Amino acid sequence: MALLVIDDLAKTYDKVTALTGINLSVEAGEFVTLLGPSGSGKTTLLMSLAGFTTPSKGTIRLDGKDITHVDPEDRNFGFVFQGYALFPHLTVANNIAFSLRVRKWEKARIATRVSEMLSLVGLDNLAERKPRELSGGQQQRVAIARALAFGPRILLLDEPLSALDRMLRETMQKELKRLHRETGVTFVYVTHDQEEAIAMSDRIAVFNHGRIVEIGPPRDLYKKPSTRFVAGFLGENNFLSGHRADDDATKVEAFGTRFGFPLAKGRERPGDSLTVWVRPEDIRIGQATGDEIGFRATVVENAFVGALERILLRTATGEQMVATLRSEAAVAAVPGQIIDCRIDPSAIGVLPNEASGS
Amino acid sequence: MKPRRIIEVGLPRLLAWCLLGFLFVPILVVIPVALTDRDYLSLPQDGVSMQHFAALADWSKGWLPSMLTSAGIALACAAIATALGVAFAVGAWAAGGWWPSLMRILLLSPMIVPPIIYAVGMVKLWARLSLLDSYTGVVLVHVVLALPLTVLAIGASLSNLDQRLVQAARSLGARPMTVFGKVILPNIVPGVAAGALLAFVASWDEITVTLFITGRAVVTLPRRIWTSIQDAVDPALAAIATVLLVVTVLALVARALIEHRQQRQKF
Repeated sequence: MALLVIDDLAKTYDKVTALTGINLSVEAGEFVTLLGPSGSGKTTLLMSLAGFTTPSKGTIRLDGKDITHVDPEDRNFGFVFQGYALFPHLTVANNIAFSLRVRKWEKARIATRVSEMLSLVGLDNLAERKPRELSGGQQQRVAIARALAFGPRILLLDEPLSALDRMLRETMQKELKRLHRETGVTFVYVTHDQEEAIAMSDRIAVFNHGRIVEIGPPRDLYKKPSTRFVAGFLGENNFLSGHRADDDATKVEAFGTRFGFPLAKGRERPGDSLTVWVRPEDIRIGQATGDEIGFRATVVENAFVGALERILLRTATGEQMVATLRSEAAVAAVPGQIIDCRIDPSAIGVLPNEASGS
Repeated sequence: MKPRRIIEVGLPRLLAWCLLGFLFVPILVVIPVALTDRDYLSLPQDGVSMQHFAALADWSKGWLPSMLTSAGIALACAAIATALGVAFAVGAWAAGGWWPSLMRILLLSPMIVPPIIYAVGMVKLWARLSLLDSYTGVVLVHVVLALPLTVLAIGASLSNLDQRLVQAARSLGARPMTVFGKVILPNIVPGVAAGALLAFVASWDEITVTLFITGRAVVTLPRRIWTSIQDAVDPALAAIATVLLVVTVLALVARALIEHRQQRQKF
């Protein structure tokens, strides 16, 4: 049985719906990320899990026991806040010891545990500092050590890396992964940064407008998204308009070419418009071979962005698409030239056009 | 010095000193007057004398008892106003939303209503409750007058405090009262101390309302001074003014030190 089961959870503020129809179960030891744009409900869900927000509807169960209305202090969940929320009047050691003192641990046991936690996050020599004397990254480590000290069932993290600069953020991502591995604690992690979510999570729940749009391992969501929203939110993507071929139900026509694609049964009639997506890194230059999809496009712009070249193409249908290529593969991409491009059919996605047209 | 420099630097400086003099000389003049060797308000003529300070210490002259009365009332007032101020400010801070803002405006009303108007109302009310000319009556009135000061001082301290500290403490297993004692209170000590000091001072020199609601039984220091001005112009008045001046300066220094510490804590 899953450690944490969220069943049909909803939260409404006055007339605004923050969350609706949330179903999610988290296995023990899992790293689950709640990903979504701001205002999508992910933080509301995290606050409900922590007990800081009371859901309007639905239940949260831990080990099968309903904890929806249990006080935050009785949940035994660690919480890492966006701005760390360290106690400014306490030293690093006393911040970490706070949960242990509250639980009336013996002095010697507290001391042992605090030094364990300090070495776990690599801050052994800063035990007596006050939070304001630490850098952002160090404060972050203290916040994590404090939240893990009492052995929480689940660690909830609310955009813990958003205040750090890019370099530090990457280091801390690895650090968090290591802590997750070493402690075996279940992590529920909120972020709006899709790269962070992809790099760290076992599973991602993608939020939009107060709902979970899709849940799955990062690879599945990236490679086989089943919604336009997820296809666009995770990683970079090109969206192109296409339609079902008039003469063949298994063929799609888009960006001046025609290719086979098994369509969702019954939904598409001849000429129905569809959305075709293809990731920039899956577009290659050269004649199509085998079952590759070939098409011609005009090079609009060629920008060097470090490891890769970023090429802006205009297709025969006048749509623009971005391709990222290694420099040596991109030599043919001279602006103004019309070039042959190819795509592996497994890298392409076709989605029905959503009624809302979002 | 070049003429331009005199106009740009010298003149403003001179003006500043004149203004300071205007503000402080009348206050400082009480010090020599307190040391006069005469029996009337005057500057020392044939040498200085401590006789008027001695008179302050003389129990039968009534200065010492009134000082003790004022100190007692001011301490009680500071204690109660600080406790209530902490309760209100922390409650309003934790609750958030529009109604604490409304309550805050109501609480600040004693600062807005002229004391004389308030005094008239209090006489009527205290007469009905038999609190006229009683210590309880004076302390309660002073608490009302001091409450805005403590609420403002403590509120200022709280406004620098991250609301999420409460959530952090609770997620770590602390009950609300533990959060208050171990997290909120230690972080607002400077504001609480400043509030208590302000409340003490507010009560210590309150005269308007006190005049209305006291008679023979409760004689605070300001009331004693008031009475003595009406009787005769006794140099003991200057002596008491000197003592108050010293106490006030000490209080200001204490407050400056507290604020200095508060500033340092932020960085």
